Amino acid sequence: MGLLTILKKMKQKEKEVRLLMLGLDNAGKTTILKKFNGEDINTISPTLGFNIKTLEHRGFKLNVWDVGGQRSLRSYWRNYFECTDGLIWVVDSADRMRLQDCKQELHSLLLEERLAGSTLLVFANKQDLPGSLSSEDIRKTLDLDNIKSHHWRILPCSAVTGENLLDGVDWIIDDIASRIFTMD
Amino acid sequence: MEASDVISELQCVDFGEEEIFTSCSNEVDTKFDLTIGHIEDIIMEDKFQTLQNNFLEKFYSEFDDTEENKFIYTDIHKDYINLIEKCLEEELSGRMPDFSMQEFTRQLAERKDDLEGEIFEMLLTFSDFVAFKDMFLDYKAAKEGKTIDLSDGLTVTSVDMPSGCDLFSLNGQSISKD
Repeated sequence: MGLLTILKKMKQKEKEVRLLMLGLDNAGKTTILKKFNGEDINTISPTLGFNIKTLEHRGFKLNVWDVGGQRSLRSYWRNYFECTDGLIWVVDSADRMRLQDCKQELHSLLLEERLAGSTLLVFANKQDLPGSLSSEDIRKTLDLDNIKSHHWRILPCSAVTGENLLDGVDWIIDDIASRIFTMD
Repeated sequence: MEASDVISELQCVDFGEEEIFTSCSNEVDTKFDLTIGHIEDIIMEDKFQTLQNNFLEKFYSEFDDTEENKFIYTDIHKDYINLIEKCLEEELSGRMPDFSMQEFTRQLAERKDDLEGEIFEMLLTFSDFVAFKDMFLDYKAAKEGKTIDLSDGLTVTSVDMPSGCDLFSLNGQSISKD
C-alpha cells in the first residue's frame, strides 16, 4: 500500500461510513439508492458500471457504492470491497427463479477477506409486488441463519414505497458505529 | 504494510530511557517537517503539473459527464494514485538522500491526529474518487469548450448552427463554439 492510501485510511473521518450495495441485476439497488436520496425513480435503467452517492444522515456521512449486478459485471465487484464498513445485499423477493443464484453469490461474498468485519444488511425488496416472498422465506432460502462471520439482519422493504429503507440504513449505521466509533 | 500495522508496531516500540526519545525527537520532527515542505514544493512545480496534464490528456476521452460511472474509471484512478505515489517517492529520494517512504509513513501514523493543513487535504484529494472524476470532467469540458485556435495556419471548421446554415471560418478568424 502506498503513501496516499495509507494517508486516506489514517485520516478517515469520524462518523464517515462506506456502504457497498450489491445483489443480482434487477434487484433494485439503484432504485433504493435514489429513493433514499429523495430522487426520481421512474427513469432508472440497468446499471452497467457503478454509482456513488454521499449522503448525510443522522450526522453520519454515508458513502454508498452501488455496483451493477449483471452476471458479466460481478467479477468487478471485488474492486470495491476495500474499506467497506457495511454490505447491503438487495434481493428481488419476487424473482423466485433466481434465489439459488442469489444465495450462492451472497455466500461467496461473505468468504471475501476484504469484507470480513463488515455488517450485512439484507433487503428483501419489492414487497409491493404481488407474489413476492416474505422476508422470512428469503431468510430461509438464502440460509442466513448459517452466517456466523458477520453481523446480519434481514428486512422486508420496497424501494418504490420506501417502506423500511430508513429502518435498514439506521440499523446498519448503528451496528457499524457500535463496532468502530466506540473504540476511542 | 498496512497502516494499522504501522500503528500497532509503533505502540510496541519501547524507547527505553525517555531522555533518548526526547533528544532525538526534535531531529525527527525537523526531518518530518522538511519532508512535508518538499512535498509541498513538488506538487507545485511545473514537472508535477506536466505529469498530471499528460495523464489527463491521455485518458480524458474515456470520461463522460453522466452520473453513472464506468468500471474503467476505477482502473484509471488506480493508475493515477500509483503515478503520483511513484513521483513523490522519486522526487523525495532525489532531494533527501536518506529518505525512506516506510519511515515517513510511520511518522505520519505517529502524528495522525495532528495532520492539519492544505497539503494533507490535497494529498487526500488524490485518492478521492469523486474529486478524481470531477477533475477529469473539468478538464474535458475545458478541452472541448475551448476557443478554436487557428494560429497554426489554414484550418476549416464548421460550426453547428441551430438554423441549419453552414458557417465556415477561414484562416485567422477564430470562432468560439459554445
